[in-house]
Amino acid sequence: MEDAYGVPTAPIVTARFVDYVQRDSRSHGMSLRYSFPPYPVGWVSRETLHGYVEGNDPISGVPLMEEVIFALTQPLTEAEKTYKAEKRPERPRLLEPDTETNLHRLFLENGWTDGLPIVLPTEERVEEMLTGTDRGPQEIVGMMSVTTHEERLQYTVERVAAIAVMAGARQEHFPVILALGASGRPSMPSSTSSFASMMVVNGPVRDEIGMNYGLGALSPVNYANAVIGRAWTLMSINFGDVRPGATFTASTGTTINYNNMCCAENEELSVWEPFHVRKGFKRDESTVSLFRGWTVLGFNTGPVQRMLEVMKSLSGPFGGAFTFVIDPLVAKSLKKEGYDDPMKLSEWLVNEMNPRFKRPEMVNFIVVGGEMNPVWVTTDFSYFQTAVVDPWIPAAGIRHDEKPLRMPEAVACADGSCGISR
Amino acid sequence: MLDPGGQPSGIFGRRLDVDSPIFAIHDPENQPRDTAEALGKRKMAPRLDNLKGKTVYLVDTGFAGSADFMEEVQNWFTRNRPSVKTELRHKKTSMFTDEPELWAEIKKSGDAVVFGVGG
Repeated sequence: MEDAYGVPTAPIVTARFVDYVQRDSRSHGMSLRYSFPPYPVGWVSRETLHGYVEGNDPISGVPLMEEVIFALTQPLTEAEKTYKAEKRPERPRLLEPDTETNLHRLFLENGWTDGLPIVLPTEERVEEMLTGTDRGPQEIVGMMSVTTHEERLQYTVERVAAIAVMAGARQEHFPVILALGASGRPSMPSSTSSFASMMVVNGPVRDEIGMNYGLGALSPVNYANAVIGRAWTLMSINFGDVRPGATFTASTGTTINYNNMCCAENEELSVWEPFHVRKGFKRDESTVSLFRGWTVLGFNTGPVQRMLEVMKSLSGPFGGAFTFVIDPLVAKSLKKEGYDDPMKLSEWLVNEMNPRFKRPEMVNFIVVGGEMNPVWVTTDFSYFQTAVVDPWIPAAGIRHDEKPLRMPEAVACADGSCGISR
Repeated sequence: MLDPGGQPSGIFGRRLDVDSPIFAIHDPENQPRDTAEALGKRKMAPRLDNLKGKTVYLVDTGFAGSADFMEEVQNWFTRNRPSVKTELRHKKTSMFTDEPELWAEIKKSGDAVVFGVGG
């Protein structure tokens, strides 16, 4: 309002966020005239709020509303007129040489990791990772910030390669990680409410890099799912500039941030079109779709009619956006009920079942799992975007190790008796 | 190297050499020179001489408690600055989204704006 519309503005922010808005001023080059009531403002009585408005700003000691009036009427000072944004200091490309032990300590103590051990991104390892794409190492991939207001930092293919090495990935995973980077979306956006993210891969790349979309797809039993999901968070930490309490304000946080529910869709066992096709992509395109929300709730509700009843009664933390992660058995049951297209189910939920379902396009279904049990997982995740992986894949195809690294796959049932669909 | 699935046997792995220096480790926070997002210079708006007879928009951001808080702010103006006209508005979508229609209304019909409450 100040700059674009020329309207004098008095922002009121709770005293808990004094440091936060001061950093915001420095990064935007505008020192707004804030007033600070006590914290919190939510979930307190009306009498308490009345007292805040009538009382003093606990930071300045001045009556709050006098500050507001001052902010709108006192002429700007020279310092306010000439305030400039602070640029971050430049960082070297390479770190000072040190022992492996000390370097691991350096990464951990600087907050460059997720707390788990990493693979140190040596120049040699990063060069090897770069063979996973034809793109030049200095090509800009994207920009990212975990905040909504601070300077977004740019990163190159080489920087993403360093992150991929840290996450423990191999060259074959690199195109998907680059697609994540190109989205510019952090996996752990800063919010006091503790955002969680989910990423789902579709298309041929799923099998080419050994992703898991069957049994245990959301569990730590697959190498590709593990390192790709982790890489998204390491990108968010380093490119998105996660600094707890400063740029990252998740009050409780969430363990989903470690891996971001990284999985692929079980297109082979799904009775519906793949998710990316439903979003306008071709079946043979490889994509990664991104979701964000807070809540994950698993159900095992038996017959499909019971499931629909549970959907009808969903309330609690859920808002207008839903993404259901369902076992292929559930999709098959739903199809038998007439839902040959999940959009039909979305429309039915919105129009007839529950006012919490706001718009059909905000209700999405992903088919994941190994047909061991007709389970489904409800999330309040919003679908944001689908990033295409193919532009990051080398012209010669995915670059594999001579003997690709693979964890044990789920034991298949040879006679078909363990899967209803087989 | 120890077998992570092995049973206690009294046989321990050989100690790795942790003292030899490693060179050429990438700094994960290194940014390309001069390619960070350009933030243009921004200016604050000129201030009003006073609020007498002016219209002040009060915008509820949508954070928990802010609607009630901004009503209290409006009540304060009514009690203490009756010459000031206030217009209370609630953000329609969320605290994170742009609402150009509201900003245009404030520009057209208002003289100043108070946003609350952040956080």
